[in-house]
Amino acid sequence: MIPNSEVQSIMKRFPKFEDSFIGLEYAPRLPKGIIRETKELIAYARKFNDEVVRPKALLLDKKTHEDPDYLPYDLMQTASEWGFYTMWVPKLFGGRGKNLPSLSPVVEEISSACVGIANVLAVHYLGLTSLMTSFNMKVTNRILKEVVEGERKGKPCLIAFAITEPIAGTDVEDNDLVDKGRVTCRAERVNGGYVINGRKVFISMGQVSEWTFVFAYTDLKKPSQNRVDFVVRTGTKGFSVGRHENKMGQRVCPANELIFEDCFIPDDQVLIDAYTIKKFTDKPLGEVMQRHMDYISSSSKAGVCAIGVGVARGAFEDALKFASETEVRGRLLINHEWAQCILAEMHKNVTLGRLAYMEANHANSHRGIYELLQMKPMYYYLKFMPSLYFRMLNPMLNTGLTTWAMSKMYYDMKKTEDVDCTSGLSSLAKFAGTDIGVRNCQLAMDLMGQAGLRHDRGMEKRLRDAKLLQIYEGSNQINRIASFKGLIAPVYPQTRVFEQ
Amino acid sequence: MITSLLHDDMKSFQDLAHNFASKELAHRREESDRYPFGLFDDTVLAKAHELGFLGITLPEDMGGIGQGVRALCVILECICRTDASLAAIIFTNTLAQEILLKAGAVDLLRQVTVSNNPKDILISFPSYSNPEEHKNLPFATKGDMGYSLSGSIDYVVLAPIASQALIPARITGQDGYSLFLVDLRSPKVKKGESLFSLGVHACPVADITLNGAEARLVGQEGKGPAFFEETANMMYVAAAAVSLGIMKGSFDYALTYSNEREQGGWPIINWSEMKMILADMAIQMNIAEMAVSEACNAIEKKVAGWDVCAKTTALHVQNVACLVTTDGIQILGGYGYMKDYGQEKRFRDAAQNKALLGMAPLRKMDLIDQINSMR
Ligand SMILES: Cc1cc2nc3c(=O)[nH]c(=O)nc-3n(C[C@H](O)[C@H](O)[C@H](O)COP(=O)(O)OP(=O)(O)OC[C@H]3O[C@@H](n4cnc5c(N)ncnc54)[C@H](O)[C@@H]3O)c2cc1C
Repeated sequence: MIPNSEVQSIMKRFPKFEDSFIGLEYAPRLPKGIIRETKELIAYARKFNDEVVRPKALLLDKKTHEDPDYLPYDLMQTASEWGFYTMWVPKLFGGRGKNLPSLSPVVEEISSACVGIANVLAVHYLGLTSLMTSFNMKVTNRILKEVVEGERKGKPCLIAFAITEPIAGTDVEDNDLVDKGRVTCRAERVNGGYVINGRKVFISMGQVSEWTFVFAYTDLKKPSQNRVDFVVRTGTKGFSVGRHENKMGQRVCPANELIFEDCFIPDDQVLIDAYTIKKFTDKPLGEVMQRHMDYISSSSKAGVCAIGVGVARGAFEDALKFASETEVRGRLLINHEWAQCILAEMHKNVTLGRLAYMEANHANSHRGIYELLQMKPMYYYLKFMPSLYFRMLNPMLNTGLTTWAMSKMYYDMKKTEDVDCTSGLSSLAKFAGTDIGVRNCQLAMDLMGQAGLRHDRGMEKRLRDAKLLQIYEGSNQINRIASFKGLIAPVYPQTRVFEQ
Repeated sequence: MITSLLHDDMKSFQDLAHNFASKELAHRREESDRYPFGLFDDTVLAKAHELGFLGITLPEDMGGIGQGVRALCVILECICRTDASLAAIIFTNTLAQEILLKAGAVDLLRQVTVSNNPKDILISFPSYSNPEEHKNLPFATKGDMGYSLSGSIDYVVLAPIASQALIPARITGQDGYSLFLVDLRSPKVKKGESLFSLGVHACPVADITLNGAEARLVGQEGKGPAFFEETANMMYVAAAAVSLGIMKGSFDYALTYSNEREQGGWPIINWSEMKMILADMAIQMNIAEMAVSEACNAIEKKVAGWDVCAKTTALHVQNVACLVTTDGIQILGGYGYMKDYGQEKRFRDAAQNKALLGMAPLRKMDLIDQINSMR
């Protein structure tokens, strides 16, 4: 047809082939074992839904209304017994080492039964991802060992993620905004570590997690260039839990205020700061920190999209069941053409939403944060080597060499286009999937009429749960801008974002 | 916005409802929304009764204030800006009263409204549905002593507190349904627990089971659908007014918040995307207000097609209120999701109100059939 050189040059134009058909490009590199593993995990999640989530969802929601301070310890215990808190911890750290992209369909599955319960499981992986993508292997290794130990001893050890502050929510999410905002969480350098003062708000699972990943700033006037990422253990002197938020939905998953009052954080709990990065890059701290945020969100936002798809699917399934059982004007609802069209629309939303998070995860696997673990040789090597082998290897993680190598690879050498593309796509998936979640709940409410209003039918809870998805992990407005920034703005160099 | 709903003579009702809402409802909103859901304390109902809100359209000689649909809308809209629960109570009670009036059951109604106790005046009704949507309505049997009802009916609004219920039931061998007044204090009536619903938590709802409960026929046998439709045609605009009020509350709060909350170094209203969302909210709200006002005009003047106008208004306004209140949360970010701020309640109340008077898709279907038949 046309010479290859011409194909190459045409396909470099916007929209580039490599950015538009990531799944297709990635397909030949996908280790086949992932398909079977993912299928098994979804089946496992379905069983968990049947045995744990569905019987408990409405009861627990009611309980949290009766007792707004209710904490989900029982549920954490059960999830731990099912192995969910170590399922996606890489084998090198002692976990079950399932492929990380498969977390999304599992989260979709559980969210289709209850979003709140899904988050009691999934928030831990937001914390875990923030640790792992710091590539500070020594600290990560120490904490993940505790996670694995916690599961073994029947005492779940979870990780929360805390960046939002009372007067800086959106502002802490992007380095272009943070200097204009008013962050207050201050890290003061002292001998052997930092002293932290300030507050975080809305921290999911904050009160019940053993560890919390935190952002603080050594200079509040120029936070973009002065961030410290660290972990703190619950119960540490100077670190306490404030209010338990009274939320509209997802009530079984608590959100808390966290308070730092002269809280000392030793250096061995610091993941990234101005000192640690010098070992692997000359880049300014601000750039490294923005990249860390991009890595965290490119993984977590695909996950939130999956939650949105899950709630959309739950709404679809409820509406479908209702339509197949309910007679309206002499005919089953499912046999009214208009109802079939609403159901088809809801099903379309679920299907497209799923494609969005799958594509975002293909991007993460092909060009992003999962790239190394998802390579065929690496995947099979990690899958088939016995645990004993990894136990022997594990001390290597504490030498500094792995930290250097991984940080170098991801913070120093990774191409900006890849980071833009993966974080842009995950932002796109986030707002697409969560808008779909709310939309399907609203459609289901229309279809169910009065029945949808009752708690005992479950639909009204889904609507309450779904709305939060448009807010956390960055409001959907901010995710639109982030996807514009990552996927569209690079085409026109004159584009400026967050400047008006 | 020029409040087109407000004709000069309506100003006094607006002030009355506004003062009432800020004095009696605002400070109770959070508490009355809390589990276990129930009613406001007795003073709220007593005060509402004193002001005539439990008989807005009821003739004065029956203890009402004898106003028309516009006054009803103005009062409902004003109350809903603060808290839609009381509006749901007023709406249901007015709907039941109006059905009785349309059916010519004046004596029955008089017997109910004669009391001074507000709870005795209230008439419960399954107002979040059209009785035709219920496949299994209770059935009525006629005996020497009159009618008795058996069977169950879901989601009867106000049943936990009202003394009377207006119940649709089928008479064996007849098409359609008939309407009956049932004394809820009868031992043959079993009320379920107050139901946990999406919104308007201070407007209690329960399922009811009837075991041969004595019932008084309202109007004529088999005429239930006609009485309901005729009344609903007017009440659609009141349902729209409820949604309008909820929207206004949500918009006002969002606008104030967006001027106070700073992100990126300035009030968030300065971000043009925020302006866009707020503008969309304002557009929807203002158009809704015009629609409600026009529908009131049409009803008052009984212009041809007034009922189409009322139905259309309800379908539109009940729907956009859900979208506007979704944005109303969004403007507040995480704070909008918390019970402390009222926006999440407005989101729930708007979604609850969308089901008022029956499933929206079926109402749409009826609307187009009616428009088509008018050609
Ligand atoms: C239940 C819950 C759980 C949460 N869990 C966590 C958690 O575990 N860890 C954590 O760190 N955080 C958590 N969050 C915080 C969440 O990520 C923030 O709420 C979110 O980022 C928005 O911040 P904000 O609430 O301060 O809203 P704001 O930033 O104040 O935003 C308010 C509105 O202004 C808009 N806006 C702000 N800036 C701009 C701009 N530059 N351009 C255009 N529009 C703008 C926003 O889109 C939004 O509509 C949670 C929040 C909730 C509600």
